[in-house]
Amino acid sequence: MRRVFIGLIVVAVLAWLAHSWSRHSVRSPILDATVADSGAAGVKAMKLFFGAANGDSLVAESREVIEATGLHDRVTGLVAELDRGPRARGVAVLPAGTSVLRVFLDNRGLMILDLSGAFRQRFRGGASAEYLAVASLIRTIGANVPEAKQVLIICAGRPIATLGGHLPLDRPLDVSDWP
Amino acid sequence: MKRAAWIAASFLLGAFVLARASDWRSPAPGEGPEAVAVRTIEGRPYLAVNDLARLIDATKFWRADVRRLVLRTASHTIVLTAGNPFVVVDDRTFWLGDPVRSQGGEFQIPVALVDSLPADSTMARLLYDHRRARVVVLPVSGGVGSPRVTIDGAMTRLSFPADQADEAVVVTRGRERFRLRFGGVFVGALPESMPAASRVSSIRTIAAAGGSAFELMIAPDAVGYRLVQETGRRRVILEVTTAHDEGFEAFAPEIPSGERTLRVVVIDPAHGGPDAGVVAGNAIEKNLTLDLAVRLQSELERQGVRVVLTRNDDREVPAEARAELANRLNADLVLAIHFDGYVDPHARGATAFCPPATVTEDRTARGEDEAPSASGLSPSRVVMLPWRDIGTRHAVQSRALAEAVLSALELRGQGPTRLRERLPYDLLGVNAPGILLECATLTAPDDRDRVMQEEGMRQLAASIADGVSAFRRSQ
Repeated sequence: MRRVFIGLIVVAVLAWLAHSWSRHSVRSPILDATVADSGAAGVKAMKLFFGAANGDSLVAESREVIEATGLHDRVTGLVAELDRGPRARGVAVLPAGTSVLRVFLDNRGLMILDLSGAFRQRFRGGASAEYLAVASLIRTIGANVPEAKQVLIICAGRPIATLGGHLPLDRPLDVSDWP
Repeated sequence: MKRAAWIAASFLLGAFVLARASDWRSPAPGEGPEAVAVRTIEGRPYLAVNDLARLIDATKFWRADVRRLVLRTASHTIVLTAGNPFVVVDDRTFWLGDPVRSQGGEFQIPVALVDSLPADSTMARLLYDHRRARVVVLPVSGGVGSPRVTIDGAMTRLSFPADQADEAVVVTRGRERFRLRFGGVFVGALPESMPAASRVSSIRTIAAAGGSAFELMIAPDAVGYRLVQETGRRRVILEVTTAHDEGFEAFAPEIPSGERTLRVVVIDPAHGGPDAGVVAGNAIEKNLTLDLAVRLQSELERQGVRVVLTRNDDREVPAEARAELANRLNADLVLAIHFDGYVDPHARGATAFCPPATVTEDRTARGEDEAPSASGLSPSRVVMLPWRDIGTRHAVQSRALAEAVLSALELRGQGPTRLRERLPYDLLGVNAPGILLECATLTAPDDRDRVMQEEGMRQLAASIADGVSAFRRSQ
């Protein structure tokens, strides 16, 4: 009687383990149902970087938006949000009225970002303002457009040597250099 | 019968533990630039789905009728269902150990999901830092992990896990300030103390423009070092030896206790002519930079240094002309003088920009011998860089200057101060140690009032001169 009882327990345990294993590796049927979701608009968090009030660093802010399709729309939306400024702490460091004219991204990850003339004309400040304006832009693009590895900022269709005379902008900036 | 029940219960418990063991995670290394806090629900670590979506750059699709949330990235799909301990990642199902929960209208996901995410270049790499209860995202440049110290006879080895092992470089070779730079972000922890037999006495992190950098103190009896970059194994090993082994590089001689040579200092009063720089109230940057430059000239000339200004009046001098002047004079030091301005009046103080240490320190810049030493230790590698970036060749000296000047400003209460490693526009093509110094912030009322007064400007010039003097004395 005892042997039978122990045997039943062992069989039950083995069955339970086999059941767990099969559940662990089974393909879930709910995957198929997600196909129907693909046509709907999704919500995406965009991560924006603004200047800290004391000028020391950047502060991050997350916003949920309806996902934009296409590179131009995505980058335009990001720069527009940066221009609108933070909803919480921090300050807008991008020169007021800056917008995106054109964006190009090659297959090596080099993004050419053509900004409106306001980017240069309305810049006021010293090296800290310039550093944080560029950092805000590069970090925001880096966080939301992972395909971009380098960003070359140009203004109104023309290359610019610098924004305010403190940092060179004549070369593409590595996104990974602005962690 | 009772005994059989005990045996059965023990067996069940053991089987349960074994089944759960497949979900145990090895502890992930520590901190990173981006991280989100992990919350504890019923004693288990959970990650908020909004945080996860942001970290992996995913779009959320919600199906209220089946309480299902789909996260979609560029090439992956993650399906989560409320109350379900399983997650579907692409075409694979993973058991999370605990159910997905819905709290306050937001899904909370067991952190086990982090280990189930695809490890490819299209998705951010996440690590669960259990010690600090957070999930960390590694940047594109990868990470640098905690160094492991091993001692083998005369050899001390520091082994760093590094995603970009080939980007590791020795920046300075002095025993007291031996600096290593990596391409990735440091996500580990440093040992609080080193073993007694270690020839590396201490290690600390220092600021770097991109990536991460460490400063080590090497024991005086160490004679050589070697940096081994194991790209395939994603590991960088620094070997320090007290024996005269072949294939090791010599440490740089310690900077002599005497003074650094300062014959010519070029001061560049920034802006000028139509370029007024920052204008805040009555303060106009181009006038203040010239005023301060003249005062600083007097202070430094009293120390017996020849000082040349790039402009003596209100005129615009192109950046190329300023660099050319410094190079023609074979300047020992270049100080680009600025005053800062920011969008918020709370920002105040001084900031120094110095070239980043992106290349190995040039030995010839310090007048050292390039020939192999008698011990057979090999010379450093040749480094090519564009003339525009020649300032990075003097990165170590420039940083020392920046630290000395900022310390002097802090000591006199002219801070707060900041140091940023970024090649400034003013130092493009300048073949000399130099810094861009934002001496005060004109948009901050306190700073502006101070520099608009005679005494404030006099003290500012004295502080900077003190900093240059400390740099000269190698302090």
